[in-house]
Amino acid sequence: MDTTELIRIGVYGTSILLILIGLYAVLTKRSLIKIIIGLSIIDGGIHLLLIGIGYIKDGTAPIFSPGSENAVARMVDPVPQALVLTAIVIGFGVTAVALSLVIRLYRHHNTLKIDEIKNLKW
Amino acid sequence: MKKAIVIFLLAVFGFFLAVTFLDPDFEAERNHNGVKNFYLDKTVSQLKTANTVTAIVVNFRGFDTLGEVTVLFLAATALGSILFKKRHHIGDRTVLMPASSIVSAGSKLIFPAIILLGAYVFIHGHLTPGGGFQGGTIIATGFLLMLIAYRDFSISHNVLSVIESFAGIGFVTFGLLGFMNGGTFLQNFMGTGVLNDLISGGVIPVIYILVGFKVAAELTGLIYTILHEKG
Amino acid sequence: MVGSPVLLIAIPLLAAFLIPLFGMVWKESVRIVPGLVLAYLTYLSASLYIEVINTDTIVEIIAGWRPPWGINLVFSPLTGFLTTIMTFMGFIVWLYSYRFKRNVEFEAAKKYFIFLMLLVAGSVGIVITGDIFNQFVFIEIVGISAYALTAFYTGRDSAEAAFKYLIMGSLSASALLIAIIIIYSQLGTLNMAEIAANIDNMNPYYRIIAMIFFIIGIGVEAEIFPLNGWAPDAYTEAPGPVGGAFSGIVAKAGIYAMVRMMFTLFDIAGPMKILIVIGLITLIVAETSALRQEKLKRMLAYSSIGQMGLVLVAFGMGTKAGVFAALFLMLNHAITKPMLFLSGSFLTFNTTEKYIKQITGMAKKMPVVSIIFVLGALAITGFPPFSGFWSKMAFLSAAADENLLFIMATILIISIFEVVYYFRVINRLFFFEYDDKISVEPHKPGFNGMIALFVLAFIVLMIGFYPSSVTGFIDLAADDLLNTHQYIDKVLQLGQTIIQ
Repeated sequence: MDTTELIRIGVYGTSILLILIGLYAVLTKRSLIKIIIGLSIIDGGIHLLLIGIGYIKDGTAPIFSPGSENAVARMVDPVPQALVLTAIVIGFGVTAVALSLVIRLYRHHNTLKIDEIKNLKW
Repeated sequence: MKKAIVIFLLAVFGFFLAVTFLDPDFEAERNHNGVKNFYLDKTVSQLKTANTVTAIVVNFRGFDTLGEVTVLFLAATALGSILFKKRHHIGDRTVLMPASSIVSAGSKLIFPAIILLGAYVFIHGHLTPGGGFQGGTIIATGFLLMLIAYRDFSISHNVLSVIESFAGIGFVTFGLLGFMNGGTFLQNFMGTGVLNDLISGGVIPVIYILVGFKVAAELTGLIYTILHEKG
Repeated sequence: MVGSPVLLIAIPLLAAFLIPLFGMVWKESVRIVPGLVLAYLTYLSASLYIEVINTDTIVEIIAGWRPPWGINLVFSPLTGFLTTIMTFMGFIVWLYSYRFKRNVEFEAAKKYFIFLMLLVAGSVGIVITGDIFNQFVFIEIVGISAYALTAFYTGRDSAEAAFKYLIMGSLSASALLIAIIIIYSQLGTLNMAEIAANIDNMNPYYRIIAMIFFIIGIGVEAEIFPLNGWAPDAYTEAPGPVGGAFSGIVAKAGIYAMVRMMFTLFDIAGPMKILIVIGLITLIVAETSALRQEKLKRMLAYSSIGQMGLVLVAFGMGTKAGVFAALFLMLNHAITKPMLFLSGSFLTFNTTEKYIKQITGMAKKMPVVSIIFVLGALAITGFPPFSGFWSKMAFLSAAADENLLFIMATILIISIFEVVYYFRVINRLFFFEYDDKISVEPHKPGFNGMIALFVLAFIVLMIGFYPSSVTGFIDLAADDLLNTHQYIDKVLQLGQTIIQ
């Protein structure tokens, strides 16, 4: 197993682990804030996964700075990086809306515990 | 009991994810040369933009970015709507401790530098790593610092919303101008200049600067709305 | 050339950014401008649709880059059909809510109309885009507008319903991203036509994994069974017209995304059976839950989910007749369910709980609205002279062609369920005396709301008496969906003709 393989397994493994940790938090935690933290961890894992699929050995950033115009072959795939930028911003937007909902729930119920808020069936 | 079920489900889910992504075949069958080379080539030869990621974000997949900017706009609007109070009274911030004099003096010192750095990042988005989203975020952190350090620091919501609107309108208008001049939405219709010059890349830097303003205004607005929320 | 499909997205976004500025100058404009925009979108979509039927599918590229490198929009007989319904329903919902929100403060009204407009624009985007990541972005636009609209009223349960919706929507968006990652890493492209052309080169195992993630990712908007827990709460807690917009616009976009993915992206025989299974489970669970509901809007929400299940079953047959029936059902549902939501919202206007018992004897106080509600109920349960009858007939004959006796039997039983729970409401409405203690105070419906209801009632009657007025369009749309090769060729050939 060479280093490339190790790096690949490391990156993918970490991101899968992050996704699982986040899911665990969303499914079992009883505090609204912790659920949102879980969602953010899932997002983080997915962004890492997305960046990871663009990885190549000895890659450089896909930027043509003076002196590196001929490094095209070594440049990593720029598309996942563009996609992850979009995904991060969208994730941010959703998190902001989620936090504002939590503020409102707190304002009404004076608690963050999900068991005490259940007016609706879950 | 519930935790055991959840852990079991997660184990199954994780197993499938791991089998998919950690399988050597996944790597072997990966398509390395799909669209990458086309993008790298066209970015240099036609768009004259040094940063390929910026070229993709603003031009090749600019439609996504328009959607993304709309998502941010929606999030800011939604925050205002969800936290809306009957009397539009913005209360004092009760959550934060008063800052010590070191913090308040220091943040006054750093604030212009942060704004300058943010502006630098989004003006050079087509040449170096960075761009409108990153620069806008940096500027918003500057305002966050000021809001934390000075309890009476205030920003006019109307000014933010005007900046936000004008930047958004500018983005769509540039898209529509491309539609009228070149035939397709968001198409580059300006001279592209020389690679690695500050003024190069046609509409790309212009749009990215607009995005920078928009993101800065929106994030500042978000922080401001949440900070002035009485629990 | 009347315009271009990209304007269907660009104009509402431009207007959304402009409205805050207009609002500073003239307050009434925040209500009028979205209406004008939605009217223009309806006009543009209808005229493009007529052009597409008479000539050929429009494939529009963005930023001058040919597919598969740039993003492209596809305006075909199928997408045009759906886009026209969606923009029209958006306009109707705007018309209905024009005065409805007048009692709300200015800031809130401004935001309500921005969300409504972007909800329509996002749904249209989901339908006409030809790029999976772009579809993800539009799904998020629809999602955030929908969360905000659900939490629009400041009652305590609306935030909870929105939070529930947000958690589900956010988790499913993550699943959708994982599916996109798998597809991009294996095929190196995000363009739907290019993916469809190369899907056979993909390892079957990854293909199935990607498909499962796709189903989870789109299932929340399409309201399929395990992922629709948000829907009854969101429909109940959101303002009345918004329930109509969810069922008439958002659910349609979700179903389209699901079907496009199954028929075009993963063109294999297996998925069709998955669709039948998912659809049947959704249908049975939702309709049996609807029987037990005490609240009017909740009952309508479950009925809406059940109809979505029915549509999926019809698509799952995979035959021409099945797809025809599915699109016909979608059209009828898109018109009738908002009609029920809007009229039901007038009937229960002066109550916050919206219990069915609270409308006891309302027919004597609000006869016109009640009759429209009954018309909608009859149409959706499939009584002969109304629109729903023809689509249910098309469904049953499609199932009969395939000898799917089990499905036919299930649908007939489910129809009895539907009749039972709608007649429970009609019975209370017409054959009970008005009682001050239980019933709510009648509300005088606004002029604009009545126009919106009359237009919908007129369409229901028109489709009921002259089904041939729409079947031609549906036929073309069904052909378009089934002809995968044509879709791929149209997009990719365009790519070859432009030289860059």
